[in-house]
Formats: sequence, structure tokens, C-alpha cells
Amino acid sequence: MPTVTYVDFQGQSTELDLAEGMTIMQGAVMNGVEGIEGECSGSCACATCHCYVDDAWLAKLPEMSENEEEMLEDTASERKTNSRLSCQIKATATMNGIVIHMPEEQE
Amino acid sequence: MFKFDPYSPEIDADPFPAYATLRAEYPCFWSEDIEMWVLSRHKDIVMALNDWETFSSAKGNLVSELPGRQGSTLGTTDPPRHDRLRALIQKAVTKRALTHILEPARATMRKHLDALKGREQFDYVSELSSRYTVDLIVYLFDLPNENLQTVRDKAVLMVQTDPKTKQKGPEHIEAFEWMQDYAAKLVEERKRNPGEDLLSQFILSEIDGEKLTDKEILLTVTTLIMAGIESLSGFLTMLVKNITDYPEVRDALVADPSLIPDAIEESLRFNTSAQRFRRCINKETTLHGQTMKPGDFVILAYGAANRDDEAFPNADVYDLARKPKGHLGFGGGVHACLGTSIARLACKVLLEELLIAFPNISKVEQELRWMSSTNFRSPLELQIKI
Repeated sequence: MPTVTYVDFQGQSTELDLAEGMTIMQGAVMNGVEGIEGECSGSCACATCHCYVDDAWLAKLPEMSENEEEMLEDTASERKTNSRLSCQIKATATMNGIVIHMPEEQE
Repeated sequence: MFKFDPYSPEIDADPFPAYATLRAEYPCFWSEDIEMWVLSRHKDIVMALNDWETFSSAKGNLVSELPGRQGSTLGTTDPPRHDRLRALIQKAVTKRALTHILEPARATMRKHLDALKGREQFDYVSELSSRYTVDLIVYLFDLPNENLQTVRDKAVLMVQTDPKTKQKGPEHIEAFEWMQDYAAKLVEERKRNPGEDLLSQFILSEIDGEKLTDKEILLTVTTLIMAGIESLSGFLTMLVKNITDYPEVRDALVADPSLIPDAIEESLRFNTSAQRFRRCINKETTLHGQTMKPGDFVILAYGAANRDDEAFPNADVYDLARKPKGHLGFGGGVHACLGTSIARLACKVLLEELLIAFPNISKVEQELRWMSSTNFRSPLELQIKI
């Protein structure tokens, strides 16, 4: 089970073991981790699961789709170079240990 | 011997006892009645939705599929084609892009509520939720102002199924064909005379310099009208049913309308109208000791997953304070409902205005007649007191 560390805006971190294939967004919303909303249910159609990915992990992520790129234009908190939508990142063995930071606000 | 037959009127009326048995005893169930697998646990359905390569939509997503839709709509294609098609519409239906429908929605809601003033009781389905939904879709798609009652009737009919023959009946197919003809005329007209509306934008779009096929346009437009009218009004009906079933929830919302979004999310979890959708197995998959083979159909019972105690403690209780995240009221993954923002906005405006106009709306004891459908669940009529 890949481990994911969620760090909230205040710096509080939560470590979760996610079933392989689950998305980072699903891991947060189903385990009560605040700071990720996932309003569109994971179809890459909103930007309420916006997160910042620790630089060490950024290069290991699958490439961004055009759709994700477009949705990231609409984030509530500042978009940075390490911004991603967490519904587009699946927990897999290669992601084991990934650290993601939640933005100040999602809507 | 346990059976699960989504064509049966008992399941239309109350699927939840059967769902509880499915989740507890048969989490990967082969239904002899319909020759399909049924998944019911939240975790399993989420995994299936994430894994579209194994659980494919390309053979249709309706439990009893309408002819010709496979491969030609958003709900019946897989990525990457699906993602390209969806991207063409997506931008126009995000929350931010939809602020322009807020005031028209409020105005039409107030108009329909005004017409009810002085009454003691009314049918919420025919006199409010369907009229409001049709008005919204007319506005969004710029539909002509004629034949609207027929458009609504056909949209409701085409999603239904026949409990006796366990398939679509001739009247359902006829309604689907009527809607395709209606859509075809609309598409022709928009091609000649494109406007700013959502349909014109979609019809004129291209993917990598190629126009969409006529079949893709026709069936997608048909499906958008069906979903916009039927699925939305079905859910609006379940939403108000919940609020009249639980007067303490109604009172809490009247006292503090800022809780309305919480009531909408809990209703999406508790009583989504989109109870079940279908996938087709692409790669042999073993789950809970059962092996599903390529070509097998499998039902993902969202309504069952939403009542899974593992995901939502005391799931059979409607809890306004729950603020459920990760519910499958709109499905999930790449195929999650395209209209989530439209639906949430329509629900919010409806409840805000309804509870200002009639803060004492209440339940009427009645035998509900439920729509006969293997996918969707809502009553055909809902009398409420005002």
C-alpha cells in the first residue's frame, strides 16, 4: 500500500496508506483529511482538489493532460509550478512516500 | 435464494434492503435475472471507476442500453476519445462559467412559486421541479419554446424500462427516437445558424482539426437533453422528498439557509437519482473470489455504495451535519456527471426560494408511484402541503 503524506496549510501532516489505484483526492476525502474537496467527483472538471506536490516527486508524476492544465487556471489559491489536481494522481508503488501540500483554500 | 432484479418495481420503490444484503453477503454478485454482475461496496465501486481500462463504458453505460449509443456519447466512450469529447463541453459547465444562469434560475423559480400561492397542496413533480428544469435547459441550450411538455415527457420515458420483458419497451424506444429526431432538427438549425449556446459550441467543435461525426453530435445532444431534463428533475424531487420526510432538516434550513449546500450533498449521498450504471469487463478480474470475464457486464450500484457503513458511518441515517465527501451521487472518476455544477446550482436556488415562499412545506401521506428504471430512481408524483 503506497503511503501518502498530506500537509495542510498550517503545516499539520497526516500520513495515509492508500489502496493501490486510489487517487490522492479520494484518499483525502474518504479519510477525513481537510483541505481537499473534489467537487466534480474526480472527472477533472473543477479545481477543488488542487495541491502542491513536493518537488522531489514532481518529475515522477504522469504528465498533465490538456484538461488538467485548463482546470488549473481556475484554482482558488495561487497556482504554482508544482500545482496539480490530486484527482489525477493515482497512488501506485512508484508514488510510495509522496508528500503533497494543501493550499489555503479550494473555492 | 437471494435475487437482485433491477427491473422489479420493488427495487424501484426501495432498493436499500437488497443493497444491504449485496454489500454484506454478495459483494460481487452474479444476478441470474439480468445476467450481469453487481458491485455494491463503496471501495469496490471507486476502484472500478478509477480503472476504466478494465471496467469499460464503450459498450454502453445504461443497464438496459438504448440502440446505437455505444461509442458515440460521453458516457459510452472510453479515454482518450472520451476525454477529448468531454473537454469540448467541460469549460462551459464549470461553476465559474455558470454564474450567468443564477439569476434566470431564480427568476423562473419565483415565477413558478408565485403561481402556487393560495394553494394548500400541489404535485411537486409536475408543477414545480419539471417546469423549473425545462426552463433551465431551454435557457442553457436555447431550445425553441414549443413542444416543451412533449420534450419533458419523452425525456422521462426514454430512461424507463419494462419490468415484465426486462428490457426497453416499444414506448421507451419510440421516445428515444422522438428525442433523436428533435435533436437532429436542432443540430441542423444550429449548424445553419450557430448561437452562443452550449449546443452550438459543441456542434461546431473540432478535435485535432476534425469535425465530430454526425452520430457523435446527434447522440450526445440527445443524451444532454435527456440528462438535463430527466436526471436533474429526478434528483430535485428526491431532494425535496428528503426535506419533507425529515421536518427537522427543513426547520434547520429555514433557520439557517447557509446549511442548504450540506442538505444537497447529504441528499446526493442518501438518495441519489442515479442509482446504477453499467460497465463491461475488458480484462479478466477476480474480486471477492468471483471471476468476471471479458465481455461480462457489471452494474455499479452507486446508491448501494452511498449507504455503505464502511464509507459513511450510520449510512442509513439522513444526517444534515454529515457533510459527506466522496459520495457517488454523481458517480465518479472520468465519467462522473458532467452537470455537477448545474445540478448543485439548480438545487441551491430551488431550496432557497422554496423555503422562503413556503417555509412549512410538509409531507402528504401517499402511496408513491416510482419510475420504472434500471438506472434512475424517483417518484412520478410527489404531493406536498404548503
